[in-house]
Amino acid sequence: MAVLPLVYLVVRSFERGGSVVWDVLARTRTAELALRSLTLAVSVTAACLVLGVLSAWLVARSDLPGRRAFGVLLVLPLAVPSYVAGFTWISVVPDLTGFAGAFVVLTLVSYPYVLLPVAAALRTADPSVEEVARSLGRTRRQVFFAVTVRQIRPAALAGGLLVALYVLSDFGAVSLMRYEAFTLGIYTSYRATFDRTPAAILGLVLVVLAIALTVGERRARGLVAHRGRRQPSAAPLGRARVPALAGTIALVLLTLGVPVVSLAWWLAAGTSTFSVTDVLATTGNTVAVSAFGALLTLLLALPVGILAARHQGRLARGVELAGFAGHALPGITVGLALVFFGIRFAPALYQTVPMLAFAYAVLFLPLAVGAVRTGVAHAPPVLEDVSRSLGHGRWRTGLRVTVPLAAPGVLAGTALVFLTCAKELPATLLLRPTGVDTLATELWTRTEVAAYAAAAPYAAVLLVVAAIPAVALDRFLLQDDSRR
Amino acid sequence: MSGLTVKRLVAGYGGDPVLREVDFEVQEGGLLAVLGPSGCGKTTLLRVLAGFHPASSGEVWLGERQLTADVPPERRGIGIVPQEGALFPHLSVAGNVGFGLRRGERGARVEELLDLVGLSGFGARMPGELSGGQAQRVALARALAPRPGVVLLDEPFSALDAGLREELRADVRATLRSAGATALLVTHDQEEALGMADLVAVLRDGAVAQLARPQTIYSSPADLGVALFVGEAVTFSGIARSGLVRTPLGTLPVSGEGHGTVLLRPEQLILGTDGVPSIVEDVLFHGHDASVLLRLADGTRVRSRVQGGVTGRAGDTVAVSVNGTALFFGDMP
Amino acid sequence: MRRRARIVTLAAALLASTLTACSSADDLIIYSGRNEQLVGALLDQLEDAVGIDVEVRYGGSGEMAAQLLEEGQGTEADVFFSQDAGALGAIGAQGRLAELPADVLGMVPENYQAKDRSWVATSARARVIAYDPRVVEESELPRTIEEVVDPKWKGRVGYAPANGSWQAFVTSVRVLKGEDFAKDWLKKFAANEPKRFDNNISILKAVDEGQLPFGLINHYYWYASAAEKGGEANMKAKLHRVGGGDPLALVNVAGVGIIQGSNQSEAARKAVRFLLSEQAQRHFADQTAEYPANPGVKSSKHQLPPITDLQSPDIDLSKLSSLQETVKLLQEAGLS
Repeated sequence: MAVLPLVYLVVRSFERGGSVVWDVLARTRTAELALRSLTLAVSVTAACLVLGVLSAWLVARSDLPGRRAFGVLLVLPLAVPSYVAGFTWISVVPDLTGFAGAFVVLTLVSYPYVLLPVAAALRTADPSVEEVARSLGRTRRQVFFAVTVRQIRPAALAGGLLVALYVLSDFGAVSLMRYEAFTLGIYTSYRATFDRTPAAILGLVLVVLAIALTVGERRARGLVAHRGRRQPSAAPLGRARVPALAGTIALVLLTLGVPVVSLAWWLAAGTSTFSVTDVLATTGNTVAVSAFGALLTLLLALPVGILAARHQGRLARGVELAGFAGHALPGITVGLALVFFGIRFAPALYQTVPMLAFAYAVLFLPLAVGAVRTGVAHAPPVLEDVSRSLGHGRWRTGLRVTVPLAAPGVLAGTALVFLTCAKELPATLLLRPTGVDTLATELWTRTEVAAYAAAAPYAAVLLVVAAIPAVALDRFLLQDDSRR
Repeated sequence: MSGLTVKRLVAGYGGDPVLREVDFEVQEGGLLAVLGPSGCGKTTLLRVLAGFHPASSGEVWLGERQLTADVPPERRGIGIVPQEGALFPHLSVAGNVGFGLRRGERGARVEELLDLVGLSGFGARMPGELSGGQAQRVALARALAPRPGVVLLDEPFSALDAGLREELRADVRATLRSAGATALLVTHDQEEALGMADLVAVLRDGAVAQLARPQTIYSSPADLGVALFVGEAVTFSGIARSGLVRTPLGTLPVSGEGHGTVLLRPEQLILGTDGVPSIVEDVLFHGHDASVLLRLADGTRVRSRVQGGVTGRAGDTVAVSVNGTALFFGDMP
Repeated sequence: MRRRARIVTLAAALLASTLTACSSADDLIIYSGRNEQLVGALLDQLEDAVGIDVEVRYGGSGEMAAQLLEEGQGTEADVFFSQDAGALGAIGAQGRLAELPADVLGMVPENYQAKDRSWVATSARARVIAYDPRVVEESELPRTIEEVVDPKWKGRVGYAPANGSWQAFVTSVRVLKGEDFAKDWLKKFAANEPKRFDNNISILKAVDEGQLPFGLINHYYWYASAAEKGGEANMKAKLHRVGGGDPLALVNVAGVGIIQGSNQSEAARKAVRFLLSEQAQRHFADQTAEYPANPGVKSSKHQLPPITDLQSPDIDLSKLSSLQETVKLLQEAGLS
């Protein structure tokens, strides 16, 4: 299923013969765009790793004042679509364009991808390893780099991979910031030359980049840290308390303050009116479509995630890899692939909510697979063995043991997919039922003609809709789990 | 409760058999310890008995009922106590113990079992709030609750510290007795196996090397390997002629002839005024007894276990004599 | 329109509504690459004119052309309403557009329709220069494309490389002045370090905010921005119109075509006629400040000359879809 876009890309790439493929690949422009995208992806990922790990440590391990509230606020940027972040930043800092602009905007919206898994890892990692290191004469800082970083490396790298793939596939922020990235080549192909072949070939290049990154991450991931029985205690920040607090507040202001203030300004300054019933109806659509998408993604992710958590086989790795490849593709490519297959093989479903949900599943499967894998890891097989020895069959065991234990992680993943679906634009435009608008499409319609004031209510509601699952996500990952 | 019989059991992964023809029987209400080093097939044996892994051939009988491969774990009536307990983290202690019971019978039975394992009043606690020993008791109560035919205990004390282990062993043994449970304990700890079980099966390379009462295993091991595995030993190689063999501790009577190994337990080495002179190199005092490292005249080092009393100090010269009969294992031709 | 009703249905009973395709074969289905904000109100009135239910699907013209080509024969679309001639030309070239009736084509000047009768313009927009009078006088501004690449404008010109209108403009330079001239001009343009923008709106925004002396855009964005800002007087950026058939004055069109094989071709023809009617044409002129394609209609709001008076270069607009060479040229100049 995750392979559908790849099949489509191969079909479209080679429809005019291999020489066209070679021509497109051989253009210096192609290499240049790929390099620009990779540079951006690497820089943003590096920045997200630093920001994500630091903020995760502050909310999960330090005695930062108000760290629970910060835990929520620091995750909220996930709810900000990159194109909203883009146009609000431009309206606040008009000079922020090009690489710097794309770098800032993408870093600020995607660092929670690192923060979330790292905070969870910091909560569950065995603190005695750190204590041993301290007793051996290392300072707290040395311990952090020598021991803690090693413990959270798999989580941080997994988050970093999501960031890198997200940056590769992003079009909203790079186009607004006028940074010529690889996706721009793909879009130009559709918009300026109306030619799908070069777009498909460029899409294949993205797939190759994504696979390389995914394999690289897997090599570097290493072993998952040993889970401790105890909760680590909060580390006193001491003199670093004030700078840490100031930095955290600054981060929240940059990630949330800029969009919120900017939207408020547009709302107040604009003369356009908007209909509350329209906004409400659109919100209802968005919630319904995203919920459907999140549930379908979850259903498809469950077998893959369980396979990946329980069996380290070649099949599981292959399926996971295909999912990640899809994640690096821009929404338009996945959307067109489903147009191609949908109209031929499932015309009854074409341009219906199930088809749109399916597109979301292809796009966001890795987010859900990761969550399912983590969730299932909370339910070790030995517990299932015990349950069965106590007279419960496979299904009852699943229901009474595996599901309740894996549920929080799985639900968190579903929430993450939900908010990502709510933000999605290009595939939604292609595959939504005719006449059904979501917050993202209404926002696009208005920003395309510079009707920012008219767009602001939709952007504001989108932030709220996406923020609710973000808070839920956060509560699961950052709360003190006294029952463990 | 019923007895457990295993006949010519073979099982493995892929083409590699891990268990090759395992045979044993546990009497109803008995406690059999399966003792073996890691990798000998203990875990596979448990998984096959509990129904998590298929046997390649052989038979498993629970009383009059044969447990063929198509009997799933949930219909075997075999309870398990995994390493470190593996309590359900999302359920309370009472929820864990009552997990295998029907709704109606839970209340009273849960109380009864918590009482049995000495944890009355702990029902509302969550697993995270228990100590390791308490968690292990809850795991045992949980396994016993549905009155299984047999309870399998998989290294249940390995994660506990020594003092606690000792205490818990006695408690578990008493609990199993008073519950009238047939039990199979898997362990790599000889003290545990010998101390707890009615019968011990020494498992080696996927087969039962010896099945006997603990005293028999210790005093008359089937071969040198078993002898070395079940306890500390002092060994000398020598040649037995007419029932006698010369060792650095003197000439000892043995049963056997030809080249072989003489084996003594450290407690058979008596320190006193009679015997072969030796020099005390080190003394490890354990309280109830002490372990004395001795150097004999020819340089051989041997260990003696001494009950209380005077043990001397490093550098002292003492005389060593042998108490009881030495074991002799002839070399394989 | 039943759109709102359907939205409510969807929100209320998601499953029921998802099992059936939303648009039925009995409706007239329009794929609109034109923005809902610009034409939504007009298309809402279309239903009365065609007599059957109308469903409009909005998207970007380029993406919709790709979608129509992927959908092929299976498409449910009856009408494609495009933001530019290029997208129409691209799907027309694949035989996906049906021939329009003569009476429809007769309503629009010949140079604003496809030679193969597959599409017709509905409105036109002209390339203009948006400038910042705080920085440059209108009299200093370029009057020909040669003057645009004057070194004195180094780093001071804005353009939108991914925008269809920019690509069409470059194509017109090629078609009108020849490949060699175009190549040379692009080289000089690139050497002048022009500022790249995502679209016309960003250019206008930059000019209005004083970051850019002038940029090459379409005329009507200025009116849209003025409306958003509450009046033309609030606009700091001003418009400069070039004449004399120079490519800088290129007129591009939004247009409409009927999908080949549409099972609602009668309603589709009515829809096209409606878009060329006085009601619709006045809408374009008044609401979006575009030039009406039907020369008989005038704006009641903006000072717009009739389309026949535009000093546009003489060029076959269908050729603007043959963009492959243009893109190659742009790539060589490092401007795509």
